[in-house]
Amino acid sequence: MVVLVLVVLCSWLAPALASGGDDEKDYDSAFEYDYESLRIGGLVFAVLLFVMGIVLIVSRKCTCSKSDKLRSRGPDVESGVPRA
Amino acid sequence: MGIQLTNPFLVFVSNQGLSNLRAKEILARDGLNALTPPPTTPEWVKFCKQLFGGFSMLLWIGALLCFFAYGIQAASEDEPANDNLYLGVVLSGVVIITGCFSYYQEAKSSKIMDSFKNLVPQQALVIRDGEKKSINAEEVVAGDLVEVKGGDRIPADLRIISAHGCKVDNSSLTGESEPQTRTPDFSNDNPLETRNIVFFSTNCVEGTAKGIVINTGDRTVMGRIATLASSLDGGKTPIAKEIEHFIHIITGVAVFLGVSFFILSLILGYGWLEAVIFLIGIIVANVPEGLLATVTVCLTLTAKRMAKKNCLVKNLEAVETLGSTSTICSDKTGTLTQNRMTVAHMWFDNQIHEADTTENQSGATFDKSSATWAALARVAGLCNRAVFLAEQGNVPILKRDVAGDASEAALLKCIELCCGSVGGMRDKYFKISEIPFNSTNKYQLSVHKNATPGESKHLLVMKGAPERILDRCSTIMLQGKEQPLDDEMKDAFQNAYVELGGLGERVLGFCHFNLPDDQFPEGFAFDTDEVNFPTENLCFIGLMSMIDPPRAAVPDAVGKCRSAGIKVIMVTGDHPITAKAIAKGVGIISEGNETVEDIAARLNVPVSEVNPRDAKACVVHGGELKDMTSEQIDDVLRHHTEIVFARTSPQQKLIIVEGFQRQGAIVAVTGDGVNDSPALKKADIGVAMGISGSDVSKQAADMILLDDNFASIVTGVEEGRLIFDNLKKSIAYTLTSNIPEISPFLLFICANIPLPLGTVTILCIDLGTDMVPAISLAYEAAESDIMKRQPRNPKTDKLVNERLISIAYGQIGKNTTAGFFTYFVILAENGFLPMDLLGIRVGWDNKYVNDLEDSYGQQWTYERRKIVEFTCHTAFFASIVIVQWADLIICKTRRNSILQQGMKNRILIFGLFEETALAAFLSYCPGMDIALRMYPLKPCWWFCAFPYSLLIFLYDEARRYILRRNPGGWVEQETYY
Repeated sequence: MVVLVLVVLCSWLAPALASGGDDEKDYDSAFEYDYESLRIGGLVFAVLLFVMGIVLIVSRKCTCSKSDKLRSRGPDVESGVPRA
Repeated sequence: MGIQLTNPFLVFVSNQGLSNLRAKEILARDGLNALTPPPTTPEWVKFCKQLFGGFSMLLWIGALLCFFAYGIQAASEDEPANDNLYLGVVLSGVVIITGCFSYYQEAKSSKIMDSFKNLVPQQALVIRDGEKKSINAEEVVAGDLVEVKGGDRIPADLRIISAHGCKVDNSSLTGESEPQTRTPDFSNDNPLETRNIVFFSTNCVEGTAKGIVINTGDRTVMGRIATLASSLDGGKTPIAKEIEHFIHIITGVAVFLGVSFFILSLILGYGWLEAVIFLIGIIVANVPEGLLATVTVCLTLTAKRMAKKNCLVKNLEAVETLGSTSTICSDKTGTLTQNRMTVAHMWFDNQIHEADTTENQSGATFDKSSATWAALARVAGLCNRAVFLAEQGNVPILKRDVAGDASEAALLKCIELCCGSVGGMRDKYFKISEIPFNSTNKYQLSVHKNATPGESKHLLVMKGAPERILDRCSTIMLQGKEQPLDDEMKDAFQNAYVELGGLGERVLGFCHFNLPDDQFPEGFAFDTDEVNFPTENLCFIGLMSMIDPPRAAVPDAVGKCRSAGIKVIMVTGDHPITAKAIAKGVGIISEGNETVEDIAARLNVPVSEVNPRDAKACVVHGGELKDMTSEQIDDVLRHHTEIVFARTSPQQKLIIVEGFQRQGAIVAVTGDGVNDSPALKKADIGVAMGISGSDVSKQAADMILLDDNFASIVTGVEEGRLIFDNLKKSIAYTLTSNIPEISPFLLFICANIPLPLGTVTILCIDLGTDMVPAISLAYEAAESDIMKRQPRNPKTDKLVNERLISIAYGQIGKNTTAGFFTYFVILAENGFLPMDLLGIRVGWDNKYVNDLEDSYGQQWTYERRKIVEFTCHTAFFASIVIVQWADLIICKTRRNSILQQGMKNRILIFGLFEETALAAFLSYCPGMDIALRMYPLKPCWWFCAFPYSLLIFLYDEARRYILRRNPGGWVEQETYY
């Protein structure tokens, strides 16, 4: 959850940082929209989501292979010892 | 099998064999002595099959329609829109790429198949021009005089003219687990039964034989079976039939929608050409572009998962077949059993003791403290010619290779396991003399030096057919003490013998005799021809019985198949008693179920008086099967749940499979021998054994168990059922985005509004954002215990049924509104209020109108209008993605609540992230406005679809809640897919 909040924050902050500064009085400003910072924010958002997805998959792989190893070792040990 | 037992070449028999010249002539006439490999389909044909099979055709037709529509537009308009051209190209591209992918997958598994091929050239010892020479087995011709010895593979079908203790292992041809004796005597009209013929590619286990080649290559018995197998047509897989059914449904929907809007557009006053283009547009929009790839990838993923569990699937579509299987016909030898003789029971001290027959020696053991057991073990170890092959010190005893007869090997391993080194024992008791086993006296005896204090200097040990051994005995050993053999003990022996024989086991009797020192002093010359020592009045010790025991995992696997509603049938070439014993051992005939014969024996009435309906189990002999009509076979198959077919020929196996298929069952056949291969090919899915299986059987099969473990079949069933369920979910998910994609076009036609969603954005959904989530559903865990339910009924339980279509198109299709809401919001923000949009299309799409007024009277140039329109496309696209979040989550389950199912499927979560990321990327990436005409969206436009997403989620949760609460109720009947 924390990560999600971070992502949202980042995507809002990035355009703000990118376009800090110039505030000239313009009466058409209601009709102007800062597409440049929107673009940057959107892309940051996309990249972050993508990276999170990848991290998710990779972390799954790790935990999975570990537990697999543990599981497969069990029966091997058992059958390796000849009984009676 | 029409083998001529009287042979034209017999005239030429002499010790000289064929002349080299004559051999060359015959070789030129008959060709090489090898099986013609089944006609391999050329690679390009295989590739084309992938390109034009089933689902691909739907996309090809779609692509052709697109090109056709573009052609009309190009002919009728000055500057035609390129959408249809792009769409056609993309559709063809998708088919080609998916075709290449599945071609590559299948080529990979056929490469693994090739690695199975036995590349070692076989040699054969032939006599030509009176000279013995070893030639390549492929050059053997009919009429050749061939010598074989223990360990050889038989180079061709031979008629034996002389043999010394020759035994052959026919298990791969007839399913008999015991080696068969071969002599020059003609003993049966049936070539498979007669003693004087040995068959191509079976193995000579021991002894030597000389024979004349009667058939070579494809004309051998083995060759005919292989030819029969390759001439059969496997038929369509169940999943191919399901996909065909799905194509019918989707085509029906597409044509219905297309035609009705074609008529509607004519009524609305469009021209003919325009209406035809609309018609094609609607039909093509119904084609789920991404589904082909999704289904292929889902099947591939399952195939990979199964390969990890040692099930190699040769044909991608066969992945699902085991899941719908309702009957498994299993071969016995090598599939259910280990295909090696093992000591199973012993009888001594008037008690039957059970030996451990499991592969890993984890079974029960018996009391070894009795002195009788020590004596029995001594006899079994000494009166035994089998030896372990050298240099196997660190191999587990059961896995070691043994030279010698199968039952002697079994005894050797048993004694080695229980009492330690047999070699040591043999050194201690030096063998002085022996009479080997022969079929007239039916015993084997040897005399050994005996250094044991308290016993005489020489020990005579004997083993053989139990009744013959008993006849030669006058005493019996009980608790280590010799006692006179009275009638009571003889009865006890008889009972034990009958009981062990009834278990299908081969029983051997053992006795010994301490030769008195006064008559046989040290250095006495024992003469085995004169027999100058007693062979009667010996001391009986006990019985040992051997069987080819079932594999450890089989009973459990059979039980699991049973509880999954799958009928397990045994079809074997072996004898009925053995077959029945193994069937009981592995649970194919479950405890407490009786055959007609059992009931008759219990009630003490003749078999004919028993009502066959009372018996659930039955054992059918191949001989009886031969005389049955197909109605009678159907009757047997229908009314018995537990059936064993014994002594069946390859053709009869085929008849049995066809009998089940006639009743609508989906049949899986498992087997390892050549005799199974026609049935493997005919079955809906043939499963061959990877290690012990013959090449012919592997070629005929669709699936190969790499570890020979029958239990892997259970894995196959489970995976197959899971993928069937998950494919349903995947298809439901993919189809939900279909209506939101078509409806903008419909409204564009009917209400004359600017187009809300373009072709490019539709493709972005189908081939972009929807792909990963749809595939991720293949990783979904099962909702309930899928191994506890009945196999699906192929007639009623379809992959895609009307309910799935109505859910996907109708109910979930409501998410269209989310897209339209966003569309109207954006246009209204730009000044076009919804009511003013109706009928605006003609002016909107006219390049030369550059002063179109919005609701506030602002004038819009064509270029500015188009930017707004494409922003709407992007927003519509984004809202579909957002609504697809909810769709994905509700498609995760068909019955359970998401709270029960959980969100453990990480691939699915990855899919959610990935589709959102891709949507954001497409919208915000610089250059997209030129490349794909997709524009950046304001953050608030993303949120327009959120309420709809939530609504759909809640709605479907409620539907599934009602469905669970009222099983069989209206909601289930109408909406459960």
